[in-house]
Amino acid sequence: MMCSEREAQLNQYVDGTLAAEARALVETHLAGCAGCREAVAKLRALVDGARGLPRAIEPASELWTGIAGRIGKGERGKGKRWWRGALAAAAALIIGFAVYRLLPSSAVFYGPEVDGWAAAQIEYARATDELAGALALERDRLEPATVALLERNLGVIDAALRESRDALARDPGNVELRALFAAAARQKVELLRWATRAAT
Amino acid sequence: MTRHSSWLVLVLALGARSGTAQAPPSRVNTIGERWPFAPDGSVRIVNPSGRIRVIGWDVDSLAVRARGPGRLAAAGTASVRTLVVTGRAGLEVRVPRGARVWVKSVSGDIDVVGVDGTLDLNSVVGAIHVVGTPADVTAETMGGPVELAGGTGRARVKTVSGGILLRGASVDLGASTLSGTIVVRAAGWQRGGAGVQRGHFESVTGDVRFDGELGRGGIVELESQSGAIALRVPGTTVADFDLLTIGGSVTNRLTADVAQRGALRFSTGAGGAQVTARSFKGSISIEAK
Repeated sequence: MMCSEREAQLNQYVDGTLAAEARALVETHLAGCAGCREAVAKLRALVDGARGLPRAIEPASELWTGIAGRIGKGERGKGKRWWRGALAAAAALIIGFAVYRLLPSSAVFYGPEVDGWAAAQIEYARATDELAGALALERDRLEPATVALLERNLGVIDAALRESRDALARDPGNVELRALFAAAARQKVELLRWATRAAT
Repeated sequence: MTRHSSWLVLVLALGARSGTAQAPPSRVNTIGERWPFAPDGSVRIVNPSGRIRVIGWDVDSLAVRARGPGRLAAAGTASVRTLVVTGRAGLEVRVPRGARVWVKSVSGDIDVVGVDGTLDLNSVVGAIHVVGTPADVTAETMGGPVELAGGTGRARVKTVSGGILLRGASVDLGASTLSGTIVVRAAGWQRGGAGVQRGHFESVTGDVRFDGELGRGGIVELESQSGAIALRVPGTTVADFDLLTIGGSVTNRLTADVAQRGALRFSTGAGGAQVTARSFKGSISIEAK
């Protein structure tokens, strides 16, 4: 069993974002903790697996085209826009990763542990908020009819997600429910990504 | 100023003479233009508001006609050409059948007829309509409907609220919508098809209907959060069926097998297709055509 207080640090370790000193400390800990070693192996496998994410949950190439275009504008003095684009891209990637973790195949790594599932949901919610925030900054660039369409469908998807979440609360280990929740979550990501792209 | 002269007609220019000639957008009273074009050349079309119609023809040239208020800029070579409209001009583009066509629109409808190459079609709220047998189609629209008729090697379609209709002899189909409906009418060998070899159809609140033939060894997945899922297949279909709804009901009129607590698994023979249907609270039904 992994040391729960080290979860964030182990993620950073696997991501290669730890400073040398912290990295050395983690490695010292890993040498004596089989649970954390196992967790690191699983995380690495997950990251490797994430590289082969299904196309449907990857940000479309056009998204990057739009962001790249905005980065170009940013270089010409619109730094704020660069950050909005980067935020959207980061959020999309985080969501992709989160949704990947929500998929049934992730049960191979997380099995019956609800912690991983709950963490993935929190991660998904946070990233969705970030992407929605990025979109909010650009929504005035959308046609009113598009905004209305977007809001109507965000309402639809949020209601569907609530239903799935409630059902999961009653039956947290149900793999089919998780898959349906993941599919709905992916649809929300797609919708936000789409709207962000349309606004750029 | 007369109504006629107030119309902006195109701007088509000139790339044919110099390899990558760039024509500045301008207002000219030109109705059409034509360039030599490779049989498998790439065309990129951007027209935010006007209707876009792309027609495949057996001629190695690219021809454009535009009409309405707006400007059109054309640039490129004999293998790659970009057409960009500003304003609301409608556009009719004739391309070699094997061309690769990329279209982006905001509110305009996109129609493609008779193109056998690759299509990448994107609109925000416009409709997308494809007739023919393109090798590969990607079609996305938030608010509009999508219809593919004729058959494709591979198609990936996404909408938010628009309905999706896929009909014809297609092999590999993927369709996803949030609140729209998905209807698949897959042709079998009688109409030149081999049935769907790979299909993935998912909706959150919309209904999903599959009506047609399954390819031998094919894999078809249908999923809806709250919409109904309906399957109609030939009575002679050989397949393994795995149907599950958590809060809805399963109705089987294909065989005598009965669902238990929203779940039904049965097989009509070995070595056939695999069909999976999943719903959270929608109903699932299966019957013979």
